[in-house]
Amino acid sequence: MEQPPPAEQQPIGSQSIHTPPAYSRIPSLDIIRGIGVLGALFVSIWIFGGFSEQQQNQLLLTSKGWNYRVFGALQIFFSGKMLALVAIVFGAAMVIFLSKQQQAGQQPAVDVFVKKYLWLIVFGVFNGLVLLWSRDILFHLGIMAILLFVFFRMKPRALLVATLLMTVVYCGKYYWDYADHKKMYGKYTAAVTLEKKYEKDSVAKAKKAIVAKKDTLTKFQKQDKEAWEGLVAGKKVDLKKDDDNIKKMRSGNYGKVWNHLLPATQSRQAEWLYKKGVWYLAAMIFMGMWLYKIGFFTSRFTRGQYFLLAIAGITVGVLLAWYRVHFQQISLQDYEKFVKNKALPHTIFFPIEKAAMALGYASLVMALLHTTVFSKIFSAFAAVGKMALTNYLLQSIVCTMFFFGYGMGYFARLTQFQLYLFVAEVLLLQTIFSVLWLRRFTYGPAEWLWRRISYGKMLPHTMRKQSTTPQTVTVLS
Amino acid sequence: MDINLPQDFSGNNSNPQFHSTTTQTQVTQKPVDKAERISTVDMIRGVALCGILLMNIPGFGIHWSAFDRMIRGPQNTADFYTMEVISVFFEGTMRGLFSMLFGAGMLLFTMNKKETLGGPSVAELYYRRLLLLVAFGVFNAYILLWQGDILFFYGLCGMLLYPFRKTAAKWLFALGILWICFNMIKGQINYNETRDKRAAYNEAVQAKKEGKPLTDEQKSAKAEWLQRENWRPDSMEVQRDISKVRGSYATVFNYYLPRNSGGEIWGTYHWAFWDCVAMMLIGMAFFRWGYFSNKPRTSTYIMGLLVGYGIGIPIGYIMFSKGMIEGTLHQGLYVDAYTVNHQTLYDVKRFFLCLGHASLIMLVFRSNLLNWLMKGLANVGQMAFTNYLMQSIICTLIFHGYGLGFYNKLQFHQLYYVVGGVWIFQLITSSIWLKYYRFGPFEWLWRSMTYWKKQPMRLK
Repeated sequence: MEQPPPAEQQPIGSQSIHTPPAYSRIPSLDIIRGIGVLGALFVSIWIFGGFSEQQQNQLLLTSKGWNYRVFGALQIFFSGKMLALVAIVFGAAMVIFLSKQQQAGQQPAVDVFVKKYLWLIVFGVFNGLVLLWSRDILFHLGIMAILLFVFFRMKPRALLVATLLMTVVYCGKYYWDYADHKKMYGKYTAAVTLEKKYEKDSVAKAKKAIVAKKDTLTKFQKQDKEAWEGLVAGKKVDLKKDDDNIKKMRSGNYGKVWNHLLPATQSRQAEWLYKKGVWYLAAMIFMGMWLYKIGFFTSRFTRGQYFLLAIAGITVGVLLAWYRVHFQQISLQDYEKFVKNKALPHTIFFPIEKAAMALGYASLVMALLHTTVFSKIFSAFAAVGKMALTNYLLQSIVCTMFFFGYGMGYFARLTQFQLYLFVAEVLLLQTIFSVLWLRRFTYGPAEWLWRRISYGKMLPHTMRKQSTTPQTVTVLS
Repeated sequence: MDINLPQDFSGNNSNPQFHSTTTQTQVTQKPVDKAERISTVDMIRGVALCGILLMNIPGFGIHWSAFDRMIRGPQNTADFYTMEVISVFFEGTMRGLFSMLFGAGMLLFTMNKKETLGGPSVAELYYRRLLLLVAFGVFNAYILLWQGDILFFYGLCGMLLYPFRKTAAKWLFALGILWICFNMIKGQINYNETRDKRAAYNEAVQAKKEGKPLTDEQKSAKAEWLQRENWRPDSMEVQRDISKVRGSYATVFNYYLPRNSGGEIWGTYHWAFWDCVAMMLIGMAFFRWGYFSNKPRTSTYIMGLLVGYGIGIPIGYIMFSKGMIEGTLHQGLYVDAYTVNHQTLYDVKRFFLCLGHASLIMLVFRSNLLNWLMKGLANVGQMAFTNYLMQSIICTLIFHGYGLGFYNKLQFHQLYYVVGGVWIFQLITSSIWLKYYRFGPFEWLWRSMTYWKKQPMRLK
């Protein structure tokens, strides 16, 4: 493992300022981050490219053919897991950054950290509201870093407990949503039963030729009935539901697309974060902190142990993913029946699925880390991971320009396979770009900008690689 | 009463390094000592804390439809006058002052501490403190069942302030004003949507007058506007709400659950991030200028009073009489008449009224006329956190069903008798408590959790 230049080499108390290390020096973290950022596009493309929920649900309902099989595989192996990987590495990197010893004349690491991650929130806002990637995650990661960094001194055991606790709450969130649906259904059936009784009564009265006003449901009972009916109607698969979205996404006017996407972006930034994201990301960030502290990323375990962990994690993940997809199919067939009969929603184990699978993937990387076969490809992934922010923002730029109306307008015009082909192209280009860029420069352009604004004027104003080590700048006074 | 700042804490000092030249060199991190506290800051905070109940009491004690009733009702009742006074003089200002002092408190907190190697840094302590505040806010909303909780938002907003702790006062002030401008633009965008809807309605009406057949779009635009203008609180829904709040703890809990989560989600995003952060930044600037710490000359305070009230009160009056009353009674005509909503002036009014209030308090303090009251208010302010939570506890127990169940039983103006009662209670209890203890009970809990160590509480 490479270490940042030792502090002793610097004249203490002098005016020289030690340049912070260029990036995390633990290669496994860069590799995993790279894989996470690249892999995430396989799922993001559904939204970029207009492979809508309706289309997905229809595939799940037909459950036949290659289209379905590939989609199922992506659901099992990719959906949510890539973000989990990114968040795990994010947590580990937080601990690394904050554990840096403060040098004389330097700002405390925590102060820089706060600035840095507040800026990440700004990057997220830019990605969401300017580049128009409505599922941006930088915004959330920035907020989570600010919320959770105070826990970086916690002992590994406490971090593990925090991980489990957050995961349980996250599962609970899915359960409570479902419990609400069950409650709604209960009210609906009560209202419907009453309505039938009234109907029967009035028929009986009519037969006896009694003139009486027919009883009707109260306003609230009607609301109860309509609420459930609306929910079921919303769940019904219907490709026509996409029409409006497609029309608006293909609009050539940036302002129109902006307006159309605003509610989705805001609901992702506010509602999703509060209800789900905060628990999900907290669980993964705590897990990353824990894994880092027990030495997971620095080859604490043997290769055999990593393999075992990988197999265990992926197996658990696949089983739970199968459970989720299977019961989602059932729920799509008849949601009323599902709510009536099933105690748990199909998403109940989704949090555990994501965590287990991500842990499995990370272990797999660790197991293969020093094998010759993978060294080339891993170093390419590491390059992507070092430039994760740049690559992530580039994905937004490339995909919006390709799919959205003010770009080339391919939204909802490609088949699922074509979308993945597109993804493969983008990922290949990104990997090559990252490798080449890092041959010449120390940081990616977005990373450079990020560091520049976080550290203020204390950094050398260049991205160029410097041949002199250790990297020091002398402040002229 | 120690009213003067130590020289190094001078608000006029804009040297970014001034905090590290503190005369008291502290070896380890510890909470701000009692002697270091600036009691004028506490005093203003005490006023704001008491004043905040003026705005909150309707939320505790009466169904919101009461406002609709009062606005549409006769204008010579005690209820209406009460509403008028509260709206013109206090609406938003007490929270404004409170936010300003929250910003000032952030500066106090970070100024009084020096970085120590090895131990938790100032930033860590600050963020731990705020994270706990967020947790207390959740507790206040979901457990104490106060749907108007503000601690949650303050905790989150405070997290944005830390990088500005060394920023010069004029820049903080400029940033705060900029924030207000953003908020005004945001408000205007919302109002423009209303105007668009009204315009579509007018167009439909015009078309009908000319005898043209209406398109579907015009029909729905017309219906939508009429529904909006004729909207009234539904009496059945009001009754249901009231019976819920008068119910058991579980009933009230379930009733407020979606309201609390919805409030925290959209409140953070659309409201607190603008409303609170702007005033916090301005408060930091004012603190830097020493405005809350008795620094300026008396003439400055007099000027602040005149400018603040001179501009703030007329705007407040126009906002109430035109914006609120006219805007509700004749919504359509109002929208036709005004390109810019009166509500847009909210932050401007608030800023000037806050300036006026703060100046007034400082002038009363300097005049030595009401020393006993000022001392009492400083005590209330020193225990602001405890007193804020106590307001939730007392008022929920008065109004919710699992307490005395007075919800919606008092008339609007009668609510303010309760406010008076709570004020007297808090003035007395705070003064007594601080005779024996260093901090209020919730302050003690908060500190102990922040430093993760039991803090001494008793005064020797």
